[in-house]
Amino acid sequence: MQGDSGNPTLVENFNPFSAASELGGTRLIYEPLEIASPIDGTFTPFLATDHRFTDPRTLVFTIRKGVTWSDGEPFTAADVVFTFRLLKQYPALDITGVWSVISSVAESGNLFTATFNTANVPFAATVAAVPIVPQHLWADIADPTRYANTTPVGTGPFTLSSFEPTQYALAKNPSYWQADNVAPATVLFPAQSTNQVTNQLNVVAGTYDWAYNYLPNVKDTYVSRDPDNIYWFPPGGTIGLFMNLTRAPYTDANFRKGVSLAIDRDLVAQKAVNGYTTGASMSGLVLPNQQKWLDPSLSRRGYVEQDLTAAKASFAKAGFTESNGRLVDGGGRQVSMTISMPANYSDWVTAAKETANQLGAVGISVQLDLPQAAQFQTEIQTGNFDVAMNSFAGTGLPYTDFRNGLASSFAAPINTRTVNNFERYKNRTLDQALATLAAATDEQTQREATYRLERIMYEQVPIVLLYYGGSWGLFSTRHFTGWPSAENPYTLPTSYNNSILVVLTRLKKA
Amino acid sequence: MRYFTRRVVLFLITLWAAVTLNFILPRLMPGSPADAALARLASTGQPITNAQRDAIQAQLGGANGNIVGQYFDYLGNIFTLQWGRSYSYATETVAHSVGRALPWTLILVGVTTIVAFVIGTLMGVYAGWRRGRAADATVTVGATFLASFPPFWLGLLLLYLFAFQLNWFPITGGYSAGTAPEWTWSFLVNAFEHSVLPAITLAVTSLSGWVFGMRNNMINTLGEDYVTFGQANGLRGRTIATLYAARNALLPNVTAFGLSLGAVVGGSVLVEGIFGYPGIGNLLYTAVTNQDYPLMQALFLVITVSMLVAIFVVDLLYARLDPRVRVGPEGS
Repeated sequence: MQGDSGNPTLVENFNPFSAASELGGTRLIYEPLEIASPIDGTFTPFLATDHRFTDPRTLVFTIRKGVTWSDGEPFTAADVVFTFRLLKQYPALDITGVWSVISSVAESGNLFTATFNTANVPFAATVAAVPIVPQHLWADIADPTRYANTTPVGTGPFTLSSFEPTQYALAKNPSYWQADNVAPATVLFPAQSTNQVTNQLNVVAGTYDWAYNYLPNVKDTYVSRDPDNIYWFPPGGTIGLFMNLTRAPYTDANFRKGVSLAIDRDLVAQKAVNGYTTGASMSGLVLPNQQKWLDPSLSRRGYVEQDLTAAKASFAKAGFTESNGRLVDGGGRQVSMTISMPANYSDWVTAAKETANQLGAVGISVQLDLPQAAQFQTEIQTGNFDVAMNSFAGTGLPYTDFRNGLASSFAAPINTRTVNNFERYKNRTLDQALATLAAATDEQTQREATYRLERIMYEQVPIVLLYYGGSWGLFSTRHFTGWPSAENPYTLPTSYNNSILVVLTRLKKA
Repeated sequence: MRYFTRRVVLFLITLWAAVTLNFILPRLMPGSPADAALARLASTGQPITNAQRDAIQAQLGGANGNIVGQYFDYLGNIFTLQWGRSYSYATETVAHSVGRALPWTLILVGVTTIVAFVIGTLMGVYAGWRRGRAADATVTVGATFLASFPPFWLGLLLLYLFAFQLNWFPITGGYSAGTAPEWTWSFLVNAFEHSVLPAITLAVTSLSGWVFGMRNNMINTLGEDYVTFGQANGLRGRTIATLYAARNALLPNVTAFGLSLGAVVGGSVLVEGIFGYPGIGNLLYTAVTNQDYPLMQALFLVITVSMLVAIFVVDLLYARLDPRVRVGPEGS
């Protein structure tokens, strides 16, 4: 199992609330209540058997009975309440921000109730995903934000069996409540190199049963090396051009539409990710993953074809015309655009180069700016950028995707930080659609509100979505079968997040 | 004695300047530790949120205090080796991280530096002695050829051929996954197998510098009168080459050797990165990409101090090797 990059050695840290440095195996030791699929939002139950909203602000989970911690103590709803209160007491642990929505939690019998500040039905997925820790051990920890938790006790399918800086091993928890569904007896996490090429060699050499790695020409480099080798590269999120919407000409939707029409998205995907994924639908949905939410009235499922004539017409509406191969404004100045992205994201850089070529062909002068990843984050959060490459969506939940990406409440002034909606889009209609979706518990209302969001994305083009970022799952069926696949897409093949728990409770011995 | 005092004072002033720069430079980097952590999360493709940034900022804590206060804390902590907690490895102290990585780099880079110096110098002596002949041409052309290999490229090539295709050596790490460092024969063999390819990469690419330096010094020295005098007195060629010419030609190379021993502690970021070697170079890479100020400070401190100590020692050593330095111009 390729799970952790050690850089180059691993440091023991099984604290499930450590934002940046916990080890991936932690997710097999601590279980959340439920896990929503990043593909379509379907819930897989773990410590809760199900959940329901008694009203759009009151979320009730039914807690599973008969579960024990790996030290033999019984697990109860009190542990769940304890965990949530712990996150309230130490905001540093609340890495998913549950207390920004929750106002109180309570238990009664085997029911756990979370009351929200405002109606937010899709937030159930975030609440459900909080890993639950045992009250009888965690109540006595002096500073849980600095706690390395080297002897983790959880309810999950595996327990820690050995730890070395180069590799740690988890062993199957024999008293796990669904032990029958856990095929592997041990899971090994070796440390990885910081060098991408070295990692690729390790993957291709057959070191792992499950690896997550982009490989060029995967059929020749991986699949052909062993009859047991298979891969699945589904789309995970959407990569797009985020224009700084506080700057002209990006304030003009006609200009943005012009840009959108000037780009051959499939060609960008071909160059950036070897064509493993396609150009992105301007619906804002990740297709085919979120197919069931797609507005049938969008032409060609929201895919926008390159159409230079229409692009020029749209630019003209925004007041820009072509002159001697250059797109100029009324004063004769050429439109200039600087696209920035982290220097080490090679697929984004390749995509940006191709995009720059295509925009150059319609007369826009495009420069690329490649800062370090941390500097890039600072620039986009404070709004000091022209156009940035970034990802949109990827949670599987249209509400969360559109809210994170576009909600006006996040649109901070320039020089005030915001991670979400850093392009600073403001649209009252979109906010209303989000509010409707947040409060909707019936599928019909949810569908209609989602369609409204998609149409805003399609018509107003707040973000020029380019192509789908892939999720690079490489598997071997030598020891286990039942990996997620195009035929059985129960989760994304991402070994570094809680998909690992979903996959490892579904594998079968080969 | 005056020479010695002057050196010590200069050493202390340089040390203070280096230590201060070491504090300032990481903080001039664009971006912030929280953004670096966030960028790392984002690079895995998962959606990131404001809530995450707030939590990460709270977990990292400290870094936002008064900059002057931070500087004096830092100066005080240097002497007590209290370097604080690393941002990248939240649960570990910086001193612990550095201590774990240091032996690996010292052995790998240290041994290869010494081996490359000895072999390169001997080859340089030989080439200089046989200047203009076939042997000289072979050594010089060979060294030029090797010098044109970038270390990371040679590393990848060796990795692909000997580790991936032929399976003679492991692909990554300082030792096999699942074993822990211990003083047993099997572990030492295992660690040795892991060090062969990075050692060859480092040695081969640094060899040619020593060869050229020594060869050119030799040629200069061989033109000196005392060499001609020795030849006229009928000394054997080998005696002249090794005992008279090489001894004097060695001086500039000793300076360079001292400096490169000081640089050993810095490791080799590229080569260690390629081979996933658990040394200082890799740790430094991690620290820089995570904007881990405490870890960066500690590493740069260790690197600059060992460099300064190396220069200091070379200065003192030089006084023994070459009395002219000690006496100074007024003595001549």
